[in-house]
Amino acid sequence: MTKSGIAGRNDGRIALYLLAAPLGLLAATLILPIVSAVNISLHDIRVIGSDGPFSGADNYVAILSDAVFWRSLGNSVVWVLGNSLVQTVLALTAALVLNQKFPGVKIARIWIILTWIIPTVVVVIIWRWLLSPSGGMINPLLIQLGIIDRPVGFFANGPMAFSTLIAINSWRWFPFVAVMLLAALQRIPGDLYEAAAVDGAGPLRRFREITWPLLQPTLLVLTVMGTLLSFNVFDVIWLLTAGGPAGATQTLPVLIYETAFKAYRMGEAAAMSVIASLLMIGLALALLKMLAPKETGR
Amino acid sequence: MKRGPIGWIALIAGLAVLAALVLVPIYLVASSSFKLPREIINRVPSWFPKSFTLQHYQKLLATSDFPTYFGNSVLVSSVSALLTVVLATLAGYAFFRLEFRGRDALYRAVMVAYAFPSIVILIPIYLMFAKAGLIDTRAALVIVNVTFALPFSIWMMRTFFASLPKELEEAASIDGAGLAATAWYILIPLLGPGLASIAIFAFVSAWTEYLFASVLILSDAKRTLPVGLSGIIGQYQIDWGLLLAGATLSVVPVVIFFAFVGRWFVSGLTEGAVK
Repeated sequence: MTKSGIAGRNDGRIALYLLAAPLGLLAATLILPIVSAVNISLHDIRVIGSDGPFSGADNYVAILSDAVFWRSLGNSVVWVLGNSLVQTVLALTAALVLNQKFPGVKIARIWIILTWIIPTVVVVIIWRWLLSPSGGMINPLLIQLGIIDRPVGFFANGPMAFSTLIAINSWRWFPFVAVMLLAALQRIPGDLYEAAAVDGAGPLRRFREITWPLLQPTLLVLTVMGTLLSFNVFDVIWLLTAGGPAGATQTLPVLIYETAFKAYRMGEAAAMSVIASLLMIGLALALLKMLAPKETGR
Repeated sequence: MKRGPIGWIALIAGLAVLAALVLVPIYLVASSSFKLPREIINRVPSWFPKSFTLQHYQKLLATSDFPTYFGNSVLVSSVSALLTVVLATLAGYAFFRLEFRGRDALYRAVMVAYAFPSIVILIPIYLMFAKAGLIDTRAALVIVNVTFALPFSIWMMRTFFASLPKELEEAASIDGAGLAATAWYILIPLLGPGLASIAIFAFVSAWTEYLFASVLILSDAKRTLPVGLSGIIGQYQIDWGLLLAGATLSVVPVVIFFAFVGRWFVSGLTEGAVK
């Protein structure tokens, strides 16, 4: 085999041509802005289009001494953990169900992802309507089932609004995770289960000793992805509660958006996003490191 | 493996819960969009519309800007999907078929950049686009949407190229076919399902994108569906009929699109997830 691939072709030069457009775009719209965010965070920019005076670490000092920033960071941590937990449990259950053989399984596997393909604003309309205390269907349903005795205000107080948002966001994302878990489940050879069944292992033991260990690498990758993705979620929160009531659902992206586009403090908002990205990268690396030894063992 | 009665009950219960979770809310919205306003907010909700009206759809299409938003979304999402497919295919070929120095480092850089929170680049992008005169253009949305869809699409490409035997290209090359001819006659047809999954991923991402569309677009005539619809929420004194009709119409095109290529999308996604 020659180093240059097929029939002595000059791979390096072809790669340059092929990658120029896609990587040029990514450099201009991902890499450059990331660098630029650091630069903006060191300036006091309050007017769009002006560069603003250099202010050193002032923005960082201002943020780190602001209780609102710390509360939003805390909210983000709870948000990410809550979403990971709910989504993983729902997705794993869904994947186990869809991994069975039954008539119509192919259609079910495709259509489970329906909640992911609809726009967030539609998700928001659906749930605002279903959960509304007047005319929504969830309250009458819960009353009929005897779970509650009078209509509940799902966005009325902080903890309630926060859990409702987590439920709605998980509803939106769990099918996406479920489909990926399903793929991992289908790679587990059927003989393993046959053999275990012959040895007299029940469904629970088969799950614990075959499914669970073999599923873990995928689960970890998805946890890393899910952490990054749910940290980023802005639209569901913004459109349903706008961070309220009283800041209870104000996660970091919501605070960054408000600081930049409501208060026009671009420098401070950029500083917050720099801190947020450092935290996310740290977290992602830590999670990936946890996962690395398991992957080489496969 | 044989399933006992308990297995069947568990399976049916699981499926019922999934259906209730995913399908029922969407069904309720779609069916209620045909109800008269007083039935929509009736204290005793109805599973099947007792009244039937198209008034919400008439109002939505005739008196609101919904048709404009819809057109903008179709345009932005289709162009984004097309560009993403082209760029991801080019990058995919380079990353997974060619050998060149720095390949792995470049590939890793793309993936790491993707992990940055999108809110981080919102502010710099806004300032950059303001300088470049791209604010309030649909092109700005296409650029952003392609940027967000591209890394995941390149990642999915890996699987599709891995499923194509390299010998096919070598044979074509021996037969005297150039790279372009090989790509057009051999790679593209075989990559069809993969390209369809990338197209649908990019289309759906663009169709649902809210944050950048709300910041980069200023004029009503250029708004996309998510931002336009959220404007309608506030603009009228919550007119549920109108919103439910708008929600239904925003879902229809993706559902139709998905009905044709969803099969490939799900297999593409699942293949990509495990390799």
